[in-house]
Amino acid sequence: MTERLRQTARRLLEEGNVQVVIGYGASGPVFITRPEDADKLEWNDRCFANLTVYLTRKEVKALGKAALVVKGCDERALVVLEKESQIDRAALYVIGMACDGLGAAKCVECQTHVPRFADEVIGTQAEPPAPRCAPEPNGLDRLMAKSPAERWAFWTAEFARCVKCYACRQVCPLCYCERCIADKNRPVAIDTSATPKGNFAWHITRAFHLAARCIGCGECTRACPAGIPLGLLNQALAQATEENFGYRPGMDREAEPVFGAWSPADKEDFIG
Amino acid sequence: MSEAIAMSFEPKIIAYVCNWCTYLGADLAGTNRLEYPPNVRILRLPCTGRIDFNLIVKAFEMGADAVLVSGCHPGDCHYTAGNYHARRRWMLFRSLLETLGIETERVHFTWISAAEGKKFQQVIGELTEKTRAMGPYAAYQEMCVGQASACPEAAK
Amino acid sequence: MSTAISVAALGELIAGWIGQGKLVAAPVQVGDRLLYQALSSAAAAVFDARRRPANSIKEFLFPRHEQIFRYRLEGKEIALSDVVPEEREQIVIAAKPCDAAALPILDRVFNWDCEDSFYTARRARTTVVTLACAAHDDACFCTSVGSGPADESGSDAMLFDRGDGQFEVKAITEKGRALFGVSSAEADDGTLKRAPQTKFDPARVARYLEANFESPLWKDLTLACLGCGACAYTCPTCHCFDIVDEGNAAGGARVKNWDSCQFPFFTLHASGHNPRSAQPQRQRQRLFHKFSIYPAKFGSTLCTGCGNCERNCPVGLGVLKVLQAIDGEARRLDEKEPVQA
Repeated sequence: MTERLRQTARRLLEEGNVQVVIGYGASGPVFITRPEDADKLEWNDRCFANLTVYLTRKEVKALGKAALVVKGCDERALVVLEKESQIDRAALYVIGMACDGLGAAKCVECQTHVPRFADEVIGTQAEPPAPRCAPEPNGLDRLMAKSPAERWAFWTAEFARCVKCYACRQVCPLCYCERCIADKNRPVAIDTSATPKGNFAWHITRAFHLAARCIGCGECTRACPAGIPLGLLNQALAQATEENFGYRPGMDREAEPVFGAWSPADKEDFIG
Repeated sequence: MSEAIAMSFEPKIIAYVCNWCTYLGADLAGTNRLEYPPNVRILRLPCTGRIDFNLIVKAFEMGADAVLVSGCHPGDCHYTAGNYHARRRWMLFRSLLETLGIETERVHFTWISAAEGKKFQQVIGELTEKTRAMGPYAAYQEMCVGQASACPEAAK
Repeated sequence: MSTAISVAALGELIAGWIGQGKLVAAPVQVGDRLLYQALSSAAAAVFDARRRPANSIKEFLFPRHEQIFRYRLEGKEIALSDVVPEEREQIVIAAKPCDAAALPILDRVFNWDCEDSFYTARRARTTVVTLACAAHDDACFCTSVGSGPADESGSDAMLFDRGDGQFEVKAITEKGRALFGVSSAEADDGTLKRAPQTKFDPARVARYLEANFESPLWKDLTLACLGCGACAYTCPTCHCFDIVDEGNAAGGARVKNWDSCQFPFFTLHASGHNPRSAQPQRQRQRLFHKFSIYPAKFGSTLCTGCGNCERNCPVGLGVLKVLQAIDGEARRLDEKEPVQA
């Protein structure tokens, strides 16, 4: 598959269809602008990063028309980005990689092994692969089995380690605001301090700004240098979104996003 | 909580209400001399659709023991659909609060129209007693202790 | 005379220090990560000479957040009050040499044009006991910046894992001697055999930097950077901070928080102009600060080669790759036009 990927990249660059191929290299993302550099592209079980995050970064946009290597999980971000008018899908060449899992926790329940909306798919995946690792210990079910007070204690302990590095935000393809609410300071909306109050405020905000948008790529959890299981918050919201609105972000290009739309039939059993 | 403390605890309730319905409903309660507990601090916004979920968080940071969010009934929104957007938002926000272990019994949503002065009185009365029985929201306030931008008592 | 101490005895010492009300910090296993944390019990401390915590010990001297004064608004008056510093003694134990070596580097910055008394007060009441390294990984490059697996710089005492559950203790300073009650003894330096190979020449890098502020290398090498603070915040030597006022209508505090030069708004001026508005410019700045500007001012590199930046980077960047590329380019240029010695 690596060889086919390199050939594809070489061809696209030689034909002048794209100016840059964004893919995985030996030790991280690479931006191939010359056909002779196509051999720097790799495809292996360390291709964790969600490269769609680069599509909204101005330094990368400045390189010109891009071809992007995506896994099925990452590709969901493309659907949401397109819905939110952040990318011109027609101006992007998507190279989909059929993936049999990277051994990450999210791979266990993956339903998008083969990218569905790519311009070209490399590899095939006949059946879902056997799970390669056990579900993570701090799974959502385990969390919700605790009492509210226990959950509060859990998050208080986890957020105590947050240093406000914003790796979770920077690595997320859907956190593309040019000026994040956390950077607002006239007046301050969210404390920048890495205190319990400031950390709760930040993570509540980030989770909710991603409600019904997060595609569950898990990059936020992987990127956190303090090992906080941030993805649990997004997962809880994704579950609530699916239960209440039958909506899964990034799965259906035609589906109406949950926020920005409404229905007279929306439930209101919690409203007095 | 001991009887004496329970009797003397006056809950602080923040109510974010929409200008066109609930605020007028509260006004109507006032003009009709319907007494309701003074524990509620009313904040008027144009529409529930404008209410950012962070306002609920900030209320707790600043020492609120309960938060009420109230607006026009579905179909009656002055801006046509603001409350519909708010309804969706609130539903998901409650899930997030539950996941974090924040006490969702302290966050209330109601529809109160401009004609429902009586309902306003009832809602505030019930909410005040319910919150009094729950006690202060110690968990959130303890988290903010010593931090500069928290409520003055917590900031000491 | 053997100055060996067993893990159990270390545990008892730690329990004693905690019992005396001292803050004791050590590597602790938190989920799948090893992190320096303040200990609530001696049992949590991990003495593993083969692993490196994902954070650094600077947290205990230069915390991620601290209040520097408080203010209350009383009518038209503003009442200021000093923050009373804690008097607590601190002991960091089983720190990595690359963490301890950062302290003399930070000392220079925090005592340079004015004294940062918050830092110096903590520094004075902190004793650092390092655990010499028995292994390194691909991200380590301490030997390239003049450090090493048994570097004593910044250490008050050093432990050497004998491999049999016993640790040799070497007291290096008076503080170290006071802690362990042993006189300085030569300890096993077999760890030096497990030092990483040098991977670049910092002097050559500095020369290249001085001559190549504008270079296409910056864009080529750093496009992958997403502009978070994971590298800066886990780096033992990074020390940039932001001062903000946090408060409400009744009052608040002026606080000092960690900041990262990689954040998009790090250099945003009040006018709206941002001299480093693109990530390659910000990455360039980090390299310059560490390998050119700080060395020129203070005589040593602002880096101890711990490798945290690479390990914590969500996209595997870190400074080493960029340094090696620069070094390679510098060597190539040197060969074409040898530098006059």
